[in-house]
Amino acid sequence: MINYTEITIVFILLSVLLSLSSSRLMTLVKLMALQGGAVSLVPLLLEGTQHLPMGELLFFQVMILIKCIIIPGLLVLAVKRVRIKREIEPFIGYHASIVAGLVILLVSVFVTGYLKLSLPEGHNFVLVSAITTMAAGFFLMMARRKAITQVIGYLMLENGIYLIGTALTNPSHTLYVVEFGVLLDLLVGVMIMGIILHNINSAFDDADTTLLGRLKD
Amino acid sequence: MDIFLLSLLIITIGGIFPLLSYRQFSLMKSGYIAITVAGCVIGLSAITAPLASSQIEHFSQSWLHFLSFNLTLDSLSAFFLVPIFAVCPLAALYSFKYFHKPEESLRTATNYLFFNLLIVTMALVATADNIFSFAIVWELMSLTSFFLVMYEYQKQETRKAGYIYFVFAQTGALCIFAAFALAYSQTGSLDFAAFASMPANMKYIVFLLALAGFGSKAGIFPLHIWLPHAHPAAPSNISAIMSGVMIKMGIYGIIRMFFVLGVDSVIFGQTVLTFGMISGILGIVYALGKQDLKKLLAYSSVENIGVILIGAGVGMMGIAHGNKVMAGFGFAGCLLHVLNHSIFKSLLFLGAGVVLHETGTKQIDQFGGLMKRMPTTGKTFLTGALSISGLPPFNGFISEFLIYYGAFQGLTLNATSAIFSSLAILSLALIGGLAVSCFTKVIGIVFLGEPRSEKATAAKEAGFAMTLPMIIMAATCLAIGLFPAPVVKMVMTALQSSSIPVPETSLVTEITGYLGFATRLFFIFIIVSLLLRKIFYRKKVVDSSTTWGCGFTKGTVRIQYTGTSYSGNVVEFFKPFLMLHTTYSGIKRIFPGKTTYETKVDDIAETTLLEYIISPFLYLLSKFRWIQHGHIQLYIAYIIITIIVLLMFI
Amino acid sequence: MESFISLAIALLAAPLFPGIILKVKAFFAGKQGPPLLIKYYTLFKLLKKGSVYSNSTSFVFTLGPVISFASAVIVLFFFPFAGNAPIFSFHSDVIILFYIMGLGRFFTVIAALDTASPFEGMGAAREVFFSTIAELAIFTVLILFYRLTGSLSFSEYFIGETPISLVGVSGALIVFVVVSMFMVLLTENSRVPVDDPATHLELTMIHEVMILDHSGPDLAMIELGAFYKLYFYAAFVTHLIFPFVPANGPVMNTVIFLAIMAAVYATIGIVESIMARFKMNLVPKFIFTSFALVFFAAILTIGVIQ
Repeated sequence: MINYTEITIVFILLSVLLSLSSSRLMTLVKLMALQGGAVSLVPLLLEGTQHLPMGELLFFQVMILIKCIIIPGLLVLAVKRVRIKREIEPFIGYHASIVAGLVILLVSVFVTGYLKLSLPEGHNFVLVSAITTMAAGFFLMMARRKAITQVIGYLMLENGIYLIGTALTNPSHTLYVVEFGVLLDLLVGVMIMGIILHNINSAFDDADTTLLGRLKD
Repeated sequence: MDIFLLSLLIITIGGIFPLLSYRQFSLMKSGYIAITVAGCVIGLSAITAPLASSQIEHFSQSWLHFLSFNLTLDSLSAFFLVPIFAVCPLAALYSFKYFHKPEESLRTATNYLFFNLLIVTMALVATADNIFSFAIVWELMSLTSFFLVMYEYQKQETRKAGYIYFVFAQTGALCIFAAFALAYSQTGSLDFAAFASMPANMKYIVFLLALAGFGSKAGIFPLHIWLPHAHPAAPSNISAIMSGVMIKMGIYGIIRMFFVLGVDSVIFGQTVLTFGMISGILGIVYALGKQDLKKLLAYSSVENIGVILIGAGVGMMGIAHGNKVMAGFGFAGCLLHVLNHSIFKSLLFLGAGVVLHETGTKQIDQFGGLMKRMPTTGKTFLTGALSISGLPPFNGFISEFLIYYGAFQGLTLNATSAIFSSLAILSLALIGGLAVSCFTKVIGIVFLGEPRSEKATAAKEAGFAMTLPMIIMAATCLAIGLFPAPVVKMVMTALQSSSIPVPETSLVTEITGYLGFATRLFFIFIIVSLLLRKIFYRKKVVDSSTTWGCGFTKGTVRIQYTGTSYSGNVVEFFKPFLMLHTTYSGIKRIFPGKTTYETKVDDIAETTLLEYIISPFLYLLSKFRWIQHGHIQLYIAYIIITIIVLLMFI
Repeated sequence: MESFISLAIALLAAPLFPGIILKVKAFFAGKQGPPLLIKYYTLFKLLKKGSVYSNSTSFVFTLGPVISFASAVIVLFFFPFAGNAPIFSFHSDVIILFYIMGLGRFFTVIAALDTASPFEGMGAAREVFFSTIAELAIFTVLILFYRLTGSLSFSEYFIGETPISLVGVSGALIVFVVVSMFMVLLTENSRVPVDDPATHLELTMIHEVMILDHSGPDLAMIELGAFYKLYFYAAFVTHLIFPFVPANGPVMNTVIFLAIMAAVYATIGIVESIMARFKMNLVPKFIFTSFALVFFAAILTIGVIQ
């Protein structure tokens, strides 16, 4: 018997781990697309056997569309426009980042065990991956210089929060409505980021966030 | 017990003898060695009975009505007495040639006295059974070893090292006494046996204090700072004993404390394990970064203390979980590594001593090609290096294997313990790999290749009195590696009679049987391969030439890889944990002049201590400088005021 | 009986398989390539020759090839090739064997340092560094396997009650192990992208440069030892991919085994053809990733998937 939820979550965790170790921005964006898709599949797989009304199905489809295609697409545009290929000299090196990723995973396994929540079967694993994804998102924002990487970190954070919601609550329609609202905000955020990034790039000849430090008076 | 005390008496006499006969340099040395060896042999015979069975012997001498000086010789104590009585006479024998200046006769005699006092006090530490007696002998041990470090007191460097050691020893003692005082306030009894009746959270505090105190003696990271200062400063036979035997008393303290507290919480094991992993990994990384041979060995002691603590931590976790196999194998690995380390670390320090003695330098990058110039030292040192890297078929592997076995058992426990166990396994693997790279560096740069300086070129083999102890130790390393069963059985017996749960004898016999079989099998494989090589080389032309320079014709010995460059990669990899300073003058003009490049690895614990604790403290104290002004009348006034104030409180 | 036959196959056929790698590489380069038996010819050629020793060397230099050979051979006696019980096997033999391999490495390294050549020193320094990280990955695999089977020996892993393989329980996690062990295989046997075995020059940065000064039968022993080591790692990966249950019959098992082995070697050849060697500073990251992958799987077995 193959447990599809487990495989999906293994993919999510793998994408987290790889995104911490990859220096190329394009790879990072592709990983985000994979992660977004996998994350939005998880609730579907968890409720798998139940019959879903058409409305909800549509909801999830739009979700996948946004997370897996539109946002990564916008990011690809942004990456192409500012012509940066890779993250050079991150604040925290790639070896340290991989170790940090493993430590984050260890800690989230530990935390999940420590909480001793009485969750339905399979949800524990979702919680582990949710905490890992969230923490890794924070880590990415902390450890990297480029604005795009920070946005990707933010997306990862959002994915993590989404997973926490999935793990902790009984699947219900209303929850995802809230999530959906957040997602739309995020979409707008990414669009604005694209525009601002372009402007920063033309103003400073670079999209390094450390340069923003010069803006202080 | 009487025989044991007799042996201590003889050793003490052996220490006093040189003071009476120092005018006859050779007579003093040979007489001293004879008496000391005799005393140690008697000591060894005294502990065979407690080692083999669960027989416990007591000795008690009351003093001032309420204080009593209690000694107990149980199997755990007896086990820790083995390295003391076995390694010390070898180091004493070694000193016959090492102290070679008749004009320093009196100083040597004093050194001998303190050396024997150190043996006696260490033996007493291992047997002391109540707070009072333990505190006394512990302090005496620290003091005698302090005087041993100060042998070359006229050197500024030695004095500095001595004071650093003194401060650490006393601070550690402070922590231990604090732990004892806390325990006494809880139980109202001076006996160790009463400790078990404390409340659980109090036990943890007492244990932590004791861990800090004993840890500073044992050299747990970050309390290890005195080791890399004191070991290079002391004479080599002294560093051999201090690193091989004395720091184990710290380990003894931790383990004894754990047993007398009689705890069942898993957090003790986790704490010890964490410190073990940190000490193990960082110890060996710093060892790689150091260019001073004795400093390197000192840091490698920190690493081995780490391995020992990993074993102890695994064992403690096993006890907390009631897992006999894990507890037994963890502690067995820990104790066996104590014994093994005392053998091979002393061997390495003695070897380093010979090298220093013959070349007059400590810098690894100055050596080279010593294997051909001092073959016996080279071969024994190679044996020591293989053992300390934990490679089969030598003894270091046996103890590491037992710890591995215990740690693997822990993987089936609950999530937290499984995570700790897997971290223990991974740290052991990492330590093993790094130890290989550290000791290939020592062997490769110091003993192999071409000599890098004139001193190294002129080196000659030392006398038989110096090499004999090393040969004995090297042979023991190989013997334990090939035939581990009796030694492991001895350790298990020692554990069993200390009421530690040990696995069934059949399992132990089975595992050690396999282990011995595998190492012997491998030994046979090596012999067969050697024969095979002999056959291949029959009637073949064997020629010799220079090393191929890859087309580079004017190679000098200076183009050899140095120790610094050899360890560069690894040191770079661990950069966040050590302070790597590089100074490079750069190339400036088209025809560059002299350029320099220098790297230095600073100890992060030492720098932090200096920067965040000592400097603020000194700053604070400097505000009180005005109290000390040199007017003796005012000093008297201070005394009077103090007395009056104290009288008011009483 | 089967045990001895499969061991004999291993001992005799190990030099054959590297020929496959060469053939694959030649295919990608559009060349004819050397004959399949090229490695045998090389070995015989070396065995017939005498040796030249450097003046700088000591007895360590001659001991190096012997011990690295012995350490590579002994492992084959413990491995259940094609599902046949190995000649020796006991609980916890893996730890001993990986440490014995460590001893082999120790001697290869100090033999290299014995020549006083800067190039060999360079290779030695890299070898010990990279293999340290690879060892970390291997021990993580052992942790994972212990979680899955509760055993510590090759024969219990692969022919025990619950043999570990892709199609067995927790197959999803074994994917990580396969990938990671393949990366370790490339590292430990000095293949592209970590090292380049094709250039017998100082340009080859790790293993080949360490054995520059060995010649004649000494070199033959080193080469043969290297073939055995590669054979062992390839067999490890093969057993992970396919479970060799006794039900298939020994002949069938052996055929499948050799076929998958050939496929693994061919994969090495393909990797070598389509990839370039990494810059030296990228190699640690590569090996470290292999460690991260298995450790990741190991955490999952501890935390979630019981």
